[in-house]
Amino acid sequence: MSLDDLLRHPALWRAREQGGSSSPAGLPTGYPELDRCLPGGGWPSRGLIEILTDRTGIGELTLLLPALARLCGTADAAAHRDAVGTSYGTLHDSHGWLAWISPPYSPYAPALAAGGIDVRRMLVARATPAEWAMEQALRSGACSAVLGWAACRDRQSLRRLQLAAEQACCFAVLFRALRAAHEASSAVLRIALEGSRDGLELRILKSRGGRTTSLRLAAIGSTASAPAH
Amino acid sequence: MTRPVLPRVMPDVSSSPAPADLAAVPRRPRLRPAAGGGRRRGAGDPAAATATARELWLAVHLPDYILESLRLGGDAGRDAGGDRAAAPVVAVDLARGGKVVCDADARATAAGITPGMALNSALAVEPTLRVLSRDPRRERALLEAVARVAQAFTPRVSLEPPDAVLLELRGSLRLFGGARRLCASMGAQLASHGLAPRLALTPTPLASLWFARAGEQVLLRRPGSLPARLAPLPLACTRWPERTLQLLATMGVRRVGECLRLPRDGFARRFEPRLRLELDRAMGHAPDTRRAFVAAERYVVSRDLEPEIEDTTRLQGAIEPLLDALCRFLQVRGAAVESLDLRLRHREAAPTRLRLRFAGPVSEAARIADLLRERLARTMLPGPVRGLRLRSAPLVEARAEAGELFGNGHHCAAAVPQLVERLRARLGAEAVHGLSLVAEHRPEAAQENGDVLLLPSGNRCISAKTVRKGKSHRSPMTGEYLRFPRPAWLLADPQPLEGDATPRYEGPLEMEEGPERIESGWWDGRDVRRDYYVVRNPAGVRLWIFRERGARGGWFLHGVFG
Repeated sequence: MSLDDLLRHPALWRAREQGGSSSPAGLPTGYPELDRCLPGGGWPSRGLIEILTDRTGIGELTLLLPALARLCGTADAAAHRDAVGTSYGTLHDSHGWLAWISPPYSPYAPALAAGGIDVRRMLVARATPAEWAMEQALRSGACSAVLGWAACRDRQSLRRLQLAAEQACCFAVLFRALRAAHEASSAVLRIALEGSRDGLELRILKSRGGRTTSLRLAAIGSTASAPAH
Repeated sequence: MTRPVLPRVMPDVSSSPAPADLAAVPRRPRLRPAAGGGRRRGAGDPAAATATARELWLAVHLPDYILESLRLGGDAGRDAGGDRAAAPVVAVDLARGGKVVCDADARATAAGITPGMALNSALAVEPTLRVLSRDPRRERALLEAVARVAQAFTPRVSLEPPDAVLLELRGSLRLFGGARRLCASMGAQLASHGLAPRLALTPTPLASLWFARAGEQVLLRRPGSLPARLAPLPLACTRWPERTLQLLATMGVRRVGECLRLPRDGFARRFEPRLRLELDRAMGHAPDTRRAFVAAERYVVSRDLEPEIEDTTRLQGAIEPLLDALCRFLQVRGAAVESLDLRLRHREAAPTRLRLRFAGPVSEAARIADLLRERLARTMLPGPVRGLRLRSAPLVEARAEAGELFGNGHHCAAAVPQLVERLRARLGAEAVHGLSLVAEHRPEAAQENGDVLLLPSGNRCISAKTVRKGKSHRSPMTGEYLRFPRPAWLLADPQPLEGDATPRYEGPLEMEEGPERIESGWWDGRDVRRDYYVVRNPAGVRLWIFRERGARGGWFLHGVFG
């Protein structure tokens, strides 16, 4: 293993590269304003993404939908692969499954299909210890995206999830309540969401290799915008 | 063999009191013109042309199969050593009323009891008679046990229910030192199981069977000698219908040889064509294919646990060596299992039964142990475990895994079934499901929870680009034009909203889109007549609500836009 390989290891973060072009390429979020705020120009390619919100229905899925559709191999996956290179290339090639662990309601297939998700490769699991099921899904290597709704009351379970997500190289999103924002977390990216009349308010609480900021996505959930799908 | 004393009819067909069709064709080509089969020699019949046949079939016939099957694994054998051992035993068929003796052992036969005798007469002859009921399942098991013994000699074994097994031995002769030794060793093995078989070896399966049934233990290697040797056999050994045999007897045809002398066409016309085909097969003139017996193997192992085990972790440790043995057993056979049954015995409580079901054929110990761990983790033991029994489902053929050339496939397809079976082992089968689209206008019927593993994999969703390009929201699978948005979350049951004219949900609602009228489903009793609206509440949550049209009315929340 050469030094370059070591330096390129995703677990390694160098302060010099903050926001720079050399951080591993992310998965485009589908929202250019958000892409600009994230290191690598998109969702981090490894590690756990935490989304903190108290409400279901303010646009949290709409936020993720373009990235999920991309992972399903729909949309302009090929073009993206050419542009971005290898980091998510394996994901695009394999079209893994999309696991929903303990979602608050039943995901509605027609809406997701209209959003570009291949519902035939979706797996919905209702687990009482959602952390366990999410970890299994991450460790299985079968899923290209894992969405989990878990409380993660103790730091140890959160840490385990983060480790699993780190190794799995898949799009791992954990939804938690907003009050967890004050707790320490090992997640790579933490975003608090709040709905408003003018769009979805994002507060980036933590971003490894990036900076904390807040922004508003007018494309999601604002009264002025057209419905997202 | 005593000759029947019935008046003999002359075998000359033209003078026999046969119907006109038989008499009309007096000297057509015969089924078998002369002993030795010279006519056919070299005429494209390889079996007849060579000195030794291509195939050699050994028939193992069990004349006393009814009683032997009861003795094999049953209670008859267990108390045979007791005080009732001396009593003669007969078997009756309870399914047919149980009034007639089906089979009698040597003592009963010595006392004058024969199969077919009324049970009452038999009891009158021998009051100490022990009467057993025959059991078709055990008879079948006996036959399969014999077939398993036979499989040590040749892979080509076929069952001939109810009382015989056929083995093709041509290829095994050299290994076992010739036909005579092979038959001797086969007979000895069966005798050690307490069976008294009759063996007959000839080039055709039917001929072997007939010889064995007739009680003639022959060893014929050359097809040429078949007609001459078959000729003296009584026709009863063919097990043709009773009526046919009687009809033939009235014609004076009681032996196979006499039957062979009858004109072929007339014989086929007068009796079933099947019978003539059987004669041809017995002679080796017609091919006779047999279905090979495949033993339905299982792996069963029991273990007593000393000392008793109370916690599941140690239980796992006790079971894992058994799983290793199971996997070695599977590996040798190139087989796999799809499910395993585990029975845990307790001192007082009823045994705990666990069933491990795999997503596909499995033969790796680590994977089974993984699943077992999850399963044991959610099992409550009613008490310490004294013993356990592991029993596999019938074995299936193992599927060879195709490895990737460069080994860089990150998301392997095989991982999904494994993930699903692991989740199911802990959460239960219902907790894990997939989704599929249904072409339906009713929102709640437009998707179905399906089995993840049954869904076709590898096909891709229609590009979202096409969805976005068109102004209309076209659902890719249903082809339905969704001009109105659908929520990403759907409530399992619509939730009634407060407020009569203006519905509320955590505050007043603001209309965004609607109404979309959905009226459907009058045909299956789940009639839907609704006006759907997209609304937003003060917290910024977008909701999908509907107003029930018709008598009931009222507002309901049906979905949430994620």
